[in-house]
Amino acid sequence: MQNAILKVDHVKTYFPVSTSIFAKKQYLKAVNDVSFEVGEHETFGLVGESGCGKSTLGRTIVRIYDPTEGKVFYKGQDIGRLKGDELKKFRKEVQMIFQDPYASLNARMTVGEIIREPMDIHHLYGSKQEREERVSQLLETVGLKPDHIRRYPHEFSGGQRQRISIARTLALDPKFIVCDEPISALDVSIQAQIINLLEKIQDEMNISYLFIAHDLGAVKHISQRIGAMYLGSLVEIGESEELYRNPLHPYTKALLSAIPIPDPQVMRKRAALDLDGEIPSPLNVPTGCAFRTRCPKAMPVCAEVKPELQTVGTSQVACHLYAK
Amino acid sequence: MNEEIKLTADLFEPLSEDEKNHEFIAAQSKTYFQDAWGRFKKNKMALIGLAFLSVMVILAILVPMFSPFEYDGMDLTALNEMPSLTHPMGTDKFGRDIFVRVMYGARISLSIGFSSAFICLVIGVVYGGIAGYVGGKTEMIMMRIVDILYSLPNLLIVILIMLIFGSNVISILIGICITAWIGMARLVRTQVLTLKEQEFALAAYVLGASRSRILFKHLVINCMGPIIVNVTMLVPSAIFTEAFLSFIGIGISAPAASWGTLANEARTLIESNPIQIIWPVLSICLTMLSLNFIGDGVSDAFDPKKK
Repeated sequence: MQNAILKVDHVKTYFPVSTSIFAKKQYLKAVNDVSFEVGEHETFGLVGESGCGKSTLGRTIVRIYDPTEGKVFYKGQDIGRLKGDELKKFRKEVQMIFQDPYASLNARMTVGEIIREPMDIHHLYGSKQEREERVSQLLETVGLKPDHIRRYPHEFSGGQRQRISIARTLALDPKFIVCDEPISALDVSIQAQIINLLEKIQDEMNISYLFIAHDLGAVKHISQRIGAMYLGSLVEIGESEELYRNPLHPYTKALLSAIPIPDPQVMRKRAALDLDGEIPSPLNVPTGCAFRTRCPKAMPVCAEVKPELQTVGTSQVACHLYAK
Repeated sequence: MNEEIKLTADLFEPLSEDEKNHEFIAAQSKTYFQDAWGRFKKNKMALIGLAFLSVMVILAILVPMFSPFEYDGMDLTALNEMPSLTHPMGTDKFGRDIFVRVMYGARISLSIGFSSAFICLVIGVVYGGIAGYVGGKTEMIMMRIVDILYSLPNLLIVILIMLIFGSNVISILIGICITAWIGMARLVRTQVLTLKEQEFALAAYVLGASRSRILFKHLVINCMGPIIVNVTMLVPSAIFTEAFLSFIGIGISAPAASWGTLANEARTLIESNPIQIIWPVLSICLTMLSLNFIGDGVSDAFDPKKK
């Protein structure tokens, strides 16, 4: 990709797990060798089951966690090496919207203080007055009333809180936002409002998103490209429409067959691709292809060689079925 | 499927004024502390305790200032007098006015109680906060130091400090504070450990906030409830320790007076003038009682489950 704003290059994020002092050190392989790129003004969707490492990947990209191996490049710069002013600039441009609107706002601060804080940290705008004006402006952008400024977060509903947290990230005029399941804690009608708000902001401020979710419908709607993740690895990347119409990887197929269709007759006709068993523990990832233990089409080679992402049509897929 | 639904303009009607305002929040915006005070006020015993303590503080400030008697002013013509209008609590074996001495003792006892609680608050919050937030090896070392301090015999340390620095308020303060902040540090550490993984702390980190900003503006502020409860429990225990030390004769020494010193002096006259020991003991008891009631009230007020 030519104008990639973000490049994730073979990133692995492991967490050491110590059961006892004498036990052999184990690693929880939350993200296990992931590579992809996000273009300017693009929304890259990331889907997968709970616990497959989506959030850890998102957090690695905003440098909450340092990758164990591999690198993340933002505008060509390795973010692991940023220090001082450069790091501060990175923090200003790359932001994150969190999943739980009840936990992501400091309960002891007023809405005004919450939204003003990023500007205080980065010393944006000359005077306190200008910051206050910007806060009211931001509240309006996200569809809240300026007189909400002196209220505390507990006085708002989930959707309103998510708007506050969006306003907080926008205070810095970011260029890239990691949306870590921003709608999964909200009810369906509010989800649509937040998605529309995110799209509106994207067009107005020219922002790129990494949109993490397990709601496949919402991801399809907002993303241009989608990556499907299983047990720490990307199994398929494709154009949003293409991935939904013609999924390649057996896991993506199973994932898409789980989307409920609001029509009982169609739903009954569809052959559901139920997966057997549970997702294996990321402490003990299967050899070769991580998905082989649940894959209906597993072959002997799957246990031995870990499939690499390869281009098939317009998509990329990591599966031995498509080996050339 | 969608084609079957025909939408015409007359299906829609404008929102009424009422509906437009249905997201308006009518309730007064209350801060955390206003909320807690509202709950504290409902606890009658705690309010009585607070009232008693306030009266005690005011008397302790005013009585020694305006009384005609000095706390160390002896009057050999009026030894061991019973309570009267001039001497509301009588006089002691040197003819000193007991009322003034008890109030002067209140100054010392209360100021030791409050200032040691304050010192423990500052040290404990900073130490525990840093240990919890930084984590890793730093935390391990910091908490082992705390464990070692905690295992030392408290009283022995106090007595040694008094021997080195002499029997005065400062050395009692050092003696009490040297171990009393440990509970606070442990409490703040555990709170910070759980809070630092929460999304609002991560959000502040991603926004580029400095470590000290995250620690004090986000984490410590959010464990203010348990911290305040802990402080209200520290005050009576410090007062009690001081009274105990002075009573066994290694605390504040005469002619200066704390409640413990007064009780110790009156102890020798317990057979001939038993009334003299009642005043300091009563002061200690009532103050402790009201501080404990306040502590209970505060811990209920800051307990979110009791809302």
